Amino acid sequence: MNASDSDEDVYNERTALVPSETPAVPSYRPDDLSMPDDLPTQRAKPGLSRRGGPAAVDGSGGGGGSDQEVDADDEELTLKYGAKHVIMLFIPVTLCMAVVVATIKSVSFYTEKTDQQLIYTPFTENTASVGRRLLNSVLNTIIMISVIVVMTIFLVVLYKYRCYKFIHGWLILSSLMLLFWFSFMYLGEVFKTYNVAVDYPTVGVIIWNFGAVGMICIHWKGPLPLQQAYLILISALMALVFIKYLPEWSAWVILGAISVYDLVAVLSPKGPLRMLVETAQERNEPIFPALIYSSAMMWTVGMASPMEAQRSEHQSDEEAEQSGGGVEPERRQFPEDELEEDRGVKLGLGDFIFYSVLVGKAAATGGDWNTTLACFVAILIGLCLTLLLLAIFKKALPALPISITFGLVFYFSTDFLVQPFMDNLAAHQFYI
Amino acid sequence: MNLERLPNEEKLCLCRKYYLAGFALLPFLWLVNVVWFFREAFVKPAYTEQSQIKTYVKRSGMGLLFWVAVLTTWITIFQHFRAEWGAMGDYLSFTIPLGIP
Repeated sequence: MNASDSDEDVYNERTALVPSETPAVPSYRPDDLSMPDDLPTQRAKPGLSRRGGPAAVDGSGGGGGSDQEVDADDEELTLKYGAKHVIMLFIPVTLCMAVVVATIKSVSFYTEKTDQQLIYTPFTENTASVGRRLLNSVLNTIIMISVIVVMTIFLVVLYKYRCYKFIHGWLILSSLMLLFWFSFMYLGEVFKTYNVAVDYPTVGVIIWNFGAVGMICIHWKGPLPLQQAYLILISALMALVFIKYLPEWSAWVILGAISVYDLVAVLSPKGPLRMLVETAQERNEPIFPALIYSSAMMWTVGMASPMEAQRSEHQSDEEAEQSGGGVEPERRQFPEDELEEDRGVKLGLGDFIFYSVLVGKAAATGGDWNTTLACFVAILIGLCLTLLLLAIFKKALPALPISITFGLVFYFSTDFLVQPFMDNLAAHQFYI
Repeated sequence: MNLERLPNEEKLCLCRKYYLAGFALLPFLWLVNVVWFFREAFVKPAYTEQSQIKTYVKRSGMGLLFWVAVLTTWITIFQHFRAEWGAMGDYLSFTIPLGIP
């Protein structure tokens, strides 16, 4: 069965960390007041920024507090904010990878060699010589990346010319296929693996429910945890399809190439993803659902302390400066309420998919659990670093390059260096 | 989507839509409705629309129980009698296990 292709064009838009929603308060950078004022949106895929946290402090600090106080609180908030976000993203990424690895290890379908390949990777790897195989994988990568670039540019053009209906239709079709067809395949393989008899009516009801509720949650309104779960599941399904249908060496070269592409597309001034971000910002529009994972969190604990301190401080002066004191608490009230929700980090689904592809391939073809765990740790470290950079730069950042680089390095070094080393040590009963 | 931010009328509207959509053979949607609106309907202090939300949640719950009963019965019957039904059993089967039943 040939995997259909209409879903793949979408994933490239998902390859990045996306900024959290900004509240309707001025940004904490005073020279930037014009931009994020009423940005309820995320700046599309390519980037993660956190204009939210410091903004609250600025909203209150601008009123009256001293600058040092504001800065100190700001730093504290930045750190708390950043740390919480790292955790908020670790969990979904870990879950996605866990689902993929569990499937790879138990359902043999996804690791069976197949001669079928996606039409994006036409060159076969069943060649006699190593050189030829390498050449074929590089050619496959070039084709794949060109397809991705073309699709991204196409999407940006559509977005610029406001062909929203087309884009929404495309997204709906793609998520329909993921939610129904791929999950049907997946369920079938799982049942075959466990040798269970299942009848068509039951399967029909299960798939219909899974798919319909998924469509409702992702494209319309639904509980946030359920939406997050669905996004994780469809990323895992997509990653499994890639693991199955991409030839061995091509997969690794593609992973490397796509992180380079991500870097270029997000950071260079003419990059398509960056243009998408800027267009969305200009229009103050939210980016499409179904492309972004959002981890909105309740921001009560971290925020309360600095705010409370300032408020109580002002209340003591209430007698003396009635008007000033009266205004302040209200202004602080507003940003605090705003900040209690949707202060989340957003990560593009493409990032989930490629992280899972890397770890899944490590699980499928690597030596044993050492390799898998090493890749998993590498990706999480990369994600940490990316979020750290995000806290420093506060603009859209690509999430793939650092993690994938670390992952590739760890995979190859563990598979070719650490693994034989450990095996030899164990064989000779030599403990270090 | 955070329920806390919605005004009560919209909560009611959402609950009703979930309830009605569940009739399209979607017990899972009813389950989501029950779990999501449970606190709204039964734990929160009373507000005007709460009684209606309560009815929707209760009805979703009943529909869910009905579906669970039907599915359990059917699955039990199928698993038990599949081998005996012969050709019909195979026709109905999505996956047929290997080995002797």
